[in-house]
This record gives sequence, structure tokens and C-alpha cells, in this order.
Amino acid sequence: MLKRIPLAWLNLTHDRRRFATSLAGVGFAVLLMFMFNGFMNALYDSQLQLLNRLNGEIIIVNRLRTNMFVPRAFARRRLYQARAFAGVQNAYAVYISEVNWKNPENRKSRGVRVIAINPDEPVLNIPEIDTHRQALKLPETALMDTQSRAEVGPVEAGVISELADRQIRLVGTFTMGTDFASGNGNLLMSDQNFLRYFADRGPEEAERSFATVDVGVVKLDPGTNINRIVKTLQENLPNDVLVLARDGENGFVIRERKYWQENTNIGFVFSLLTSMGFFVGIILVYQILYTDVADHWAEYATLKAMGYRNGYLLGVVLQEALILSVLGFIPGVLVSQLLYTAAGNATGLFFQMTPERVMNLLIATFIMCLLSGAIAVRKVQTTDPAEVF
Amino acid sequence: MFKAQQQSKFEPSRDNLAVQIQRLNYFFGAGDLSKQVLFDISLELPKGQIVILTGPSGSGKTTLLTLAGALRRLQEGSLRVLGQELVGLGDRALVNIRRNIGFIFQAHNLFESLTASQNVEMAVELTGDFASKRQQAVAMLSALGLDDRVDYKPQSLSGGQKQRVAIARALVNHPKLILADEPTAALDKKSGRDVVNYLHNLSREEGCTVLMVTHDNRILDVADRIINLVDGRLESDSSLNAFVQSKTKDSLTDISADMFIM
Repeated sequence: MLKRIPLAWLNLTHDRRRFATSLAGVGFAVLLMFMFNGFMNALYDSQLQLLNRLNGEIIIVNRLRTNMFVPRAFARRRLYQARAFAGVQNAYAVYISEVNWKNPENRKSRGVRVIAINPDEPVLNIPEIDTHRQALKLPETALMDTQSRAEVGPVEAGVISELADRQIRLVGTFTMGTDFASGNGNLLMSDQNFLRYFADRGPEEAERSFATVDVGVVKLDPGTNINRIVKTLQENLPNDVLVLARDGENGFVIRERKYWQENTNIGFVFSLLTSMGFFVGIILVYQILYTDVADHWAEYATLKAMGYRNGYLLGVVLQEALILSVLGFIPGVLVSQLLYTAAGNATGLFFQMTPERVMNLLIATFIMCLLSGAIAVRKVQTTDPAEVF
Repeated sequence: MFKAQQQSKFEPSRDNLAVQIQRLNYFFGAGDLSKQVLFDISLELPKGQIVILTGPSGSGKTTLLTLAGALRRLQEGSLRVLGQELVGLGDRALVNIRRNIGFIFQAHNLFESLTASQNVEMAVELTGDFASKRQQAVAMLSALGLDDRVDYKPQSLSGGQKQRVAIARALVNHPKLILADEPTAALDKKSGRDVVNYLHNLSREEGCTVLMVTHDNRILDVADRIINLVDGRLESDSSLNAFVQSKTKDSLTDISADMFIM
């Protein structure tokens, strides 16, 4: 029993109803931060879902394709040229095009993105391709992304509708998610079918053929130095293509993320909203702590008269702040998890709660509560024990 | 009542004094707004005495009490508490002095969230004696007749019981000096009487000095000495009997305050 009386805990929990309200307040501030932060990250992360599924260490794109939104293709020759270098195991082509999909229920046309690959090649890390390989090889078939927006209509095998004014049959689904470039959803089909739909769409539309490729995926032999090959390829291939490692600091995935960070207001808007949640939290916690100090003013002053130092009272208030931050964080994070799932289902955006992001917001919550504690503590410090007499 | 032979009863050596006040002046406010509330107070409290400080409201009783309790900074004069000069001490040193003083307030000022025992233990923790804090708290509460209320929270205690818990908190560390401000004001006659009796007994047993501010005439009988403060000046300083028998005003007129400086 060498323990101090946990005055901070007892004072906080003495009034159960007020304690619950306090936790709800802190939890709400945490929720606000999680939601705004979540939307920001979801908008960024969603852009990378296709890129993260490209099954190769090196990516080749047209030099003018600064982000996935730019419809610039490059010559397929470059992929064959790339295959000639030592260490390169294979180079795959990904064809991408935007086109209208007709919702089979209300017959309204919606833009979707079509991603086409050779189904016999492991171009994308999407397991459903293997399952539906044979069906994909049939003419006028495709897989649809279950995360597509509701506007595209039902997403299931057997749906027959129109793509680019031509019949199409869904033979299955896969799960990826929408991004800025994907419009209302993603369709995945074989390169042969891609030609059927896009080789000749009339005089106003660009003609597509196997001569040009949107994204080149280079698979290396195991154990090859990626950076060295990137350098070799970039030096030896003509300058119309850009060769990038997929991952890493200067990689393709980071470049895409940076593009959206630097060229949109997403970061600014949502950071602002997150910090507003932070300040709402500071005010809420300050109110809670101030009320506690004000209600127990005479008791705290008595402690001072008895010989407790300011440091002890400061400790009590800061402990209360920490207890509130930890206990308020738990309901906040749980409710946020539910709302992330709900928001992900509603928008098709990719909401993920990584341990790192949870830690960051936990630290933010700590700081939030400590700041309010530091403000509320001033009330205790100025408490004059002579005034209780 | 200021005759030499009466004073001589309280003629202790300097070591034997719990509180020694010399030529103390105290002002509220600063600059042009400053108002003097205590005028040239000189007073000595020997150890083991129960002293009642009385006087009309606004006479500076509580101010004098808080000065003796090291809760206010001295402006003019000298103040020794438990052998230590308070003038010129820093905040930390003042806090250390306060740890040897028991404070009893008009309100009980107990934490509603703590049990009676825990409230008392808060005081024991100041001594760093964590191992036996519960024992000490329970012993003190039992001495005050609260052995069956040890684990009750203040909201389930009566007014008198709460005040006794507050007294237990003030006494549990066996302070050599107890300062009490109207400890019976919020209590009914019986509870007030009980509280004063406890104080009296403990003072006798522990040999501690009690300085108590009160308006309550019912409890004057426990005092060894009654000091009357009027408008910030010592009006009278007498034993209980002398106070009760109080002499005619004429005989007082030619007595100067210097006579009381021991």
C-alpha cells in the first residue's frame, strides 16, 4: 500500500454522469479529427489503389503522363525494348480508357474506367482475374469493381448492359475502389476485348490499338537491383517514356500521391478541418477541467494550506487531462472505425485506419488534453489558500 | 486585566513559544488604495495554550490567523512560528512551515470524491508515510468518535461528522500549532460543543497550541486566554477568568500596548 490516493481519477469519476459526458465530449473531438483526417487520407490513398496492384518493380509511362488522369499512351515497342535488358524478366502492357457504361436499371450512361490486360499474364495483383480467366477470354465480357458507385447499377456476375454502345456481360466482380480518374467505377477486361470496344469508336474518339500502351509494368528477375535497372532503362530507352521504380521515395506510387497533394486543395481543406476538431477538443477539455477546478476550489486551496505545492495540484490537473484523453480516445476511435466503413461503402473511397495514423491522432489527443490542462492549471496556481479562511 | 502578575503566568522562554509576533503591521492593497488592517500587533503564544481570538467582524482576526499560518506574506514586523522567522522566507520554505500547522476552516472543505479516511490520508501523505497512512487516519478518526464512518463519503455524513473529519485531517500529523477559523459556526450547539471538547482534549494530550477565531460565546470556556481584536488593534489580552470578570474601562485607559510585549 505504498500508493498515493488517486485524487485525479476519483475527482473525475465521482460524478458518473458528468464523467460520461466528459468522455463523450473528448470522444467527439477525436471523432472529428478522425473523420477529417480519414477523408483526406482516403482521397489520397484511393488514387494509389490501382498503382499498388501493378505486379512489377518498375513502371514505364509516357513522359507527359504526370498523373493517372492524363490520357497519354506510349509505344508498345518500348516494352519489347525493355525486355532485352539483363535482369528484366518480362514487361506487361496495361491499357486504360474512359468510356460510358449504361446502368441496366435506369438506362442512364455513366463514365467508367476500363482497365485491360492480357489475362494470361500476371499484370495485376487481383486474384479474381485468375478465377475468371477463361470467362474473361470470351468476347464482350468484363469484371466490375464492387466498390463502384451506386450509379452504375447492380454489380454482379450475369449483368448484361452496354459499354461504349456495345453489349457487355459481367462475368464476375473484383474489389478495388474508385479514384479521381476512375469516374464511377472500374471495369476489368482482356486486351482482346479492349480492342473490340476501343479500336474504332467513331470519328470523334481516338482509335486504340495494341501499338500504344498506357502503363508498362516491368517484372524483374528476383534479386535484381531495381535502381540500377531503372537507371539503365531510362538511359537506353528513348526519352518519350519515363521509367520509375514502383515503390520507394522517388517511385511511381509516391509521385502520384505527391501530384494530388501538390495540385489540389485536399490537404489544406482537410488539415484545416482536422485542426478545427483539435481546437474544439481543447475548448471542451478545458471546460471540463476548469469546472472541476472551480467546483473543488476550496478543497484545492485547503490542500495548498496543508502544505501541498503547486506542482502536486498541477500534476492532478494534468493527470485528469491524460485520463480524459486516453479514455475519450477509445470510444472516439471505435465510432470512427464504424464511420470509416460506412463512408467507404458510400463513396467507394479507400478508408484505412493504419496503426501509424491511430498513433498520430492519439498523440494529437494527448497534446490537445495537455494544452487544455496547462490552461486550466493556471486557475489552481492562482488559488490563494488565505482566501478559504 | 492587564496586571503584571497575570501576564507573568505566560512568561515563557523564547524556545517555549509557538508563535511570537512583534510590531506587526499589515496592509491590504497597494499604493494609494492601500488600507491598514493590523496595527502594531505584538503577541506571544506559549506552547500548549488554547487561545481564542475574538472581536467584531472586520477587526482583522482572520488576517492575523492567516499570517500566523504562513498563508500571507508579512509586510512589517517580525513573526516567528514554531521557532522559525517567517520574514524573508521563500514560497517553498513557507509551504514547509505550513506542513507543521493544522488548519481548521469554517467550511469542512472535504473532497466529496474521497472517503473520510482518504481525506485524512491526504494529510498523512504529506509526511511521506504511505505504509501506515490508513492506520493513522483510522486512529485519528476513531479518536474523534468516527470509527464507524471511516469509509463513508462526505455526502453521507452529518455536518458535525464532516467537521470532525476535517479536524482529524488537521490533527492527524500531530501539528504543534492548530489554527481554527470559526470551527463551530456551521454546527448546532451539541456538535459544536463536541468539536471544541475534542480540540481541548487533544491540545492537552498532544501539548499543541490552538489559536481559534470565534464569535461563539458558548465555547469561550475552553480557552486559556482570550484576545480581543478591535479595528486591527489588540484591545485586550486576558485569561478566561479575567475576561469574564472584566474590569471597568477606566482602569484600562492609561495602559499602553507596550506592556503586553513580553
